[in-house]
Amino acid sequence: MNDFADDYRPDQLLSDLGKRLVSGSLTDRQLLAQTAGPVQQLLPDANVVKIGGQSVIDRGGKALLPLVEEIAGNLAQHQMILGTGAGTRARHAYSVALDLGLPTGVMSVLGTFVSMQNARMLHYLLAKHGIPFIEPVQFPQLPLYLVERRAVVFFGMPPYTFWQQNPAVGRIPPHRTDTGSYLVSEVFGARSMIYVKDEDGLYTADPKKDRNATFIPRITAGELLALDLQDLVVERAVLELMQNAQHRRSIRVINGLVPGNLSRALAGEDVGTLITAE
Amino acid sequence: MREDPTSRRHHVDSLLMRESLLDKDLMAATDEHAPVVRMLADAHVVKVGGRSIIDRGRQALFPLAAALGRALEEHRLIIGTGGGVRSRHVFSIGLDLGLPTGVLAQLAIADALGNAHILGTLLAPYGVVAIPPEIFGHLLPFFLKGAPGVIMNGDPPYSIWEHPPGIGRIPPHRTDAGSYLTAECFGCKSLILVKDVDGLFDADPAEHPEARLIREIDVAELKAMDLASLPFDEVLLDLLPRGRLVKRFQIINGLHPERLTRALAGEHVGTIVHAD
Repeated sequence: MNDFADDYRPDQLLSDLGKRLVSGSLTDRQLLAQTAGPVQQLLPDANVVKIGGQSVIDRGGKALLPLVEEIAGNLAQHQMILGTGAGTRARHAYSVALDLGLPTGVMSVLGTFVSMQNARMLHYLLAKHGIPFIEPVQFPQLPLYLVERRAVVFFGMPPYTFWQQNPAVGRIPPHRTDTGSYLVSEVFGARSMIYVKDEDGLYTADPKKDRNATFIPRITAGELLALDLQDLVVERAVLELMQNAQHRRSIRVINGLVPGNLSRALAGEDVGTLITAE
Repeated sequence: MREDPTSRRHHVDSLLMRESLLDKDLMAATDEHAPVVRMLADAHVVKVGGRSIIDRGRQALFPLAAALGRALEEHRLIIGTGGGVRSRHVFSIGLDLGLPTGVLAQLAIADALGNAHILGTLLAPYGVVAIPPEIFGHLLPFFLKGAPGVIMNGDPPYSIWEHPPGIGRIPPHRTDAGSYLTAECFGCKSLILVKDVDGLFDADPAEHPEARLIREIDVAELKAMDLASLPFDEVLLDLLPRGRLVKRFQIINGLHPERLTRALAGEHVGTIVHAD
């Protein structure tokens, strides 16, 4: 008989909550409420920056190259987890898929491929700074790369593929690159979530189509959803998820076509639109 | 490709060209297209409970595995597994350490995968094994052409991309949800959740012996009942009404394996939950 065996008391291996989790139902709201509590901020210094697909990358060098320089210029001060949107080619693939009646989960696979192309292009432009592109299976290396190289590139689509949920309306995958990037910022307890798009932020309507659209500098997710706008500046799911978030309870939307905006947002300045959980 | 004169964005001609995928009317219009393709219309998805069946060991699992073996002679089966007690345990340790929901979801995948391999060992004589999740989705139709069935870990691949839940920190998309999403995407014939209760009761039958079995119910009725707990992932109540191809599932008691045989034959032997 060794000491370890003497110390082995199965009834004390689990906390009280652990015992309830093992024996209770995970749909029991009282039990679920007991699972609330402080959550570690795993990467508190990292900023998640999502580069828009249609809004930025599809514009080519004119829009993307200055932004790449600005990203490089911020490496000394800021850690960045850089996600990419999908954009025009995803719209084309979704159109073909809709015409053929392909399921939402298959569209999610197609959108992932486009987002991955954009991640690869951004990655090559940043290659000389030693910045890697990581796929979801490589995320365990993310903390090392952030410390060593200050930034990584990933594709913004969440890796749901065939398990993408149907949207409430229509067939386009509801959880796309805004949502995938947001969830990275939330799970790691990142310092900020910045969406780089081609508008100054949020408007009351699509400013590309409506001249009377007015700028909204700051708003809560609940207020924004209640406005029930025809169009939104970020995926609806981000606004819904943010209200349940432990850490990343605000997001910022900036115009990446304006030099200096990203640097200002990384520095914590009030640029673009800030959307908060409450 | 052309440049839009107002926004100066470049576009490729297509239905969604120049459009915001967040526009409500445009999204509604995307439903006015061809009916959704059913990739695996003849396959059934059978979710085998972790704590309810597999954790009970041979007493529960051997008879069920035998019933699955017989069913494989007639049906194509996609068998999902739950994580069971080991997932509950890793949740409790992870919660105690202050780890976020996404990390808990990532950790739990390993338990359901372990159970997939346990079941795969028992079903190996039928040529049915656990398929690695990395290739499962892309190769599923291929595998089902060569084997009568496959086994998957029931979890969807949400991992660190799991959604923070409304209450607490337990990952909301667990193995019932992953099995449903598989059935929906591949347009399967049915989804059967194999548990250790006869179906859905109006109260937890373990605590309330007088609880009544609900044979059939739709999501709106079920939500209105506001039950204290459910015998399946609650998020199914959000997913099912959005279903295009799978609009119902049946919960059956796998401690009576003949009910699996009958449920696969289309019989009503447990509780059927409808989208509407």
